[in-house]
Order: sequence, then C-alpha cells, then structure tokens
Amino acid sequence: MSSDPDRSIAEYLIGIGDDELILAHRDSEWTGHAPILEEDIAFANIALDEMGHAAAWYRLAGELQGQSAETYPDELVFARKPDEFRNIQMVELPNGDWAFSLMRQYLFDSLETVRLKALVESDWDPLADTAAKIRPEELYHLRHTKAWVRRLGLGTEESNQRMQNALDELYPYALQPFSTSGNEFSALPDIKSLRQAWKAEIQPLLAESNLNIPSVTDSPVRSREEHTSYLPMLIEEMQMVARTETEAQW
Amino acid sequence: MTSGDTQWPRYQVFHQEGPDRPHVNSGSVHATDEEMALQNARDVFVRRPDCVSLWAVLATDIHSLTAEELEREGLPESKNEDGDAQTYQVFLKKTHSGSHGHVGAIQATSPAAALAAAVANYGSQGGIVWWVVSDTSIVRTDPGEIDSLFQSAMSKPYRSQSFYHTVTLMRRLREKKGIRE
Repeated sequence: MSSDPDRSIAEYLIGIGDDELILAHRDSEWTGHAPILEEDIAFANIALDEMGHAAAWYRLAGELQGQSAETYPDELVFARKPDEFRNIQMVELPNGDWAFSLMRQYLFDSLETVRLKALVESDWDPLADTAAKIRPEELYHLRHTKAWVRRLGLGTEESNQRMQNALDELYPYALQPFSTSGNEFSALPDIKSLRQAWKAEIQPLLAESNLNIPSVTDSPVRSREEHTSYLPMLIEEMQMVARTETEAQW
Repeated sequence: MTSGDTQWPRYQVFHQEGPDRPHVNSGSVHATDEEMALQNARDVFVRRPDCVSLWAVLATDIHSLTAEELEREGLPESKNEDGDAQTYQVFLKKTHSGSHGHVGAIQATSPAAALAAAVANYGSQGGIVWWVVSDTSIVRTDPGEIDSLFQSAMSKPYRSQSFYHTVTLMRRLREKKGIRE
C-alpha cells in the first residue's frame, strides 16, 4: 500500500470492488445453467447485486482520487488490462460444479458480511454509508447460501463429498484477504479481527453441515497483483463488446 | 432437472404488499422443503419493494372448487365430519384475469366442509375459484426476518426497459455500421 492515505484507501476499495466484479462475472456464467429455474433466477440476482456493490466501491475510490463517479467505474471495468485487476484469486477460478460455485459464493458472502460489519464503523463517513447500504443485500445472500451449504452438506453422500471437495480446494484461497500484514488506516478494518470474525462466522455452519475446515492456515497467494491464467480469458470476454463499440454508453 | 418426473414439489406463493393488505397469489415455485419454498418465493417474486410477508403452500394441500363445478355438481360431499374443527384459510379468485386473494378464515372439520363454508361465507362477493388451505399447511415468513428478506429490495430502484435506451443505442450502432434492421 502507498503511504498516501487517500491513495491507499482507493487501492483497497478497488481491490474489494474487483472481488465483487469478477465473482459477479463468474456467477453470471451460470445463467441458464443453474440446477433449477428458481435457483437460476436467484443466482443471477446475486450476481447483479455483487456487480452493483463493485460499482459502489469504484465510485468511492473515484471520489478519493477526484475522478468522475459517472465514468470512473466503466473505465476500471472496461479499460484495464488483466494484470491491473486487484481481485483475490478465489473469485477468478472457473466455476467447476454447482458445489464449487455455491461454496465459493458462501465463503465470499461470509467474508463480505463481516467486512461490511466492520466498514459500517469506519470513521470515513462515505465509506460507512456505502457499507450500510450494501449490507442488507449481503445479509440476504448469506442467508441464501447458508441454506444451500446446509442442505448439500447434510444431503447425500455425494453432495456432502462434493461440498467437502469444494471447501478443500477453495479454503486456502479464501484466506488471501487476511494474508497481508494489515493496514494502518483507521478508515479500514483491522485484518486480524476480521479474520477472527470470519472464522467465527463460518465454523458453526460448516460443522453443522458435516463439513470439515482444512487445517491449512495460510493462503498460497498473498498479493492482489498475482493472478491465475484464468483471469485474462475472463477479462477478454467481459470487455469484448465494450472494446468493439467504444462509443456505446453503458 | 431434465425430465418432468424428477421435478421438485410445487408450492403456491402468496405475497402481501402492506400490513393491512390481503395475501395475494403470486404464482408458484418448485422446492424440496418449506424453507426452500419461501426462499425461492422471495427470489422469484420479490424484486420490487412492495412485500412485507410471504406464504407458501404445497400445491397438493390446496382444496379447490370452481364456480362451474359448483353449478354442475353442487358442493363436494363431506365424508368425514367427525374430525375436530380446525382453521382453514380461504382464498378467492373473483375475476378471470385476477389472482387468488386471501378473504378470511373459517373453522371446519374437513376440506369439503371448509369449501362449503367458504362458498356460503364468501360466495356473495362473486367467485370463480375458491381455495381452502388448512392453516397448519401454510408456511409463513417470520416477521422478525423482514429486514433480511425484504429490506434489500427497498433500496433498489425499479427501472423499466426504456430507462436504458438500448433500442436507440442499437439503432445508432447499426446505422453506423450500415447494418439493416
């Protein structure tokens, strides 16, 4: 992080905005393919919500840097190169099976819920206000994904196994947001207490759902500048139309 | 779900637009259990900020009588009148284009008796289809959950398609590229 507070907070906001955006894109790939029509609608709705959250974080980041709230989010989404995105790797991984996507959404929702709870307390009012606005949607996402984790964890031997496989694969990646040494800005949440809150959020549900948290304690990747080879393909698809029709307004 | 025989059970959904409004049928959802029924009901039907409560009922728990059946066959026969009286909720469809709306509750000892009482009590308002549902068959959202279920819809602006000017935009792009409509 930079030593300039505004710049550092803007970088933080772009990071969490990118998490939301890239996850929204992956979730949207389920549209028309989810296991049942009702869930197809629900998951597409969640994807739209996450995209809305990304836009809200981008606007705030723009505000800090004197950028236009109108055009800055579009610039971030459509004009950056893949290596300029700052999302955690968990959200860029391909969808896998339904258990994988669902478990990822759950791990993300639980993370976002505890993060928002901390951000609501931020001493920078615009950040606290945005977090308060987003929070009800995230509480609903969490409610939705928790019900599915419980259902599939306690369902059949196969559904439990698929969920366990998904958790084993995703859990180390889910630790990435906690792998930095923290930040010194009072506007942003403390990483250590965030990690504790997140563990406290996920432990009871996963135990109740017969799913075991892997013993790994560290993320395989730390920096938000590092990405898998899956991200460039995703970005190319996401930006394809915008690059073809540069005059179009979105 | 790839074939009809693996389809999950169907629930009828009723939503309430305000504390003093009746629950009105919104449509149906498929679900494996009551919890999922309410969840799916919320996801499918509550996109606009006008819902304070949802009810869901397994479609097979709804006892139905149409005005035509009533005229042709009269009231259904009550076979077992010896059971204890219980509460049935009554829903009435009044017009062909309308939805079933909740009109009240009655006490009856069987579904057939409940339908007879529903027609007697709510027939004068004119009816096309009566539904009666044992009160215990209805699963309801918890008033304490209003925030987590419905609050997010409150802050969402509802925009009609025309807001996005997509048609105009596409026409302009096509013109630019010389693509005929």
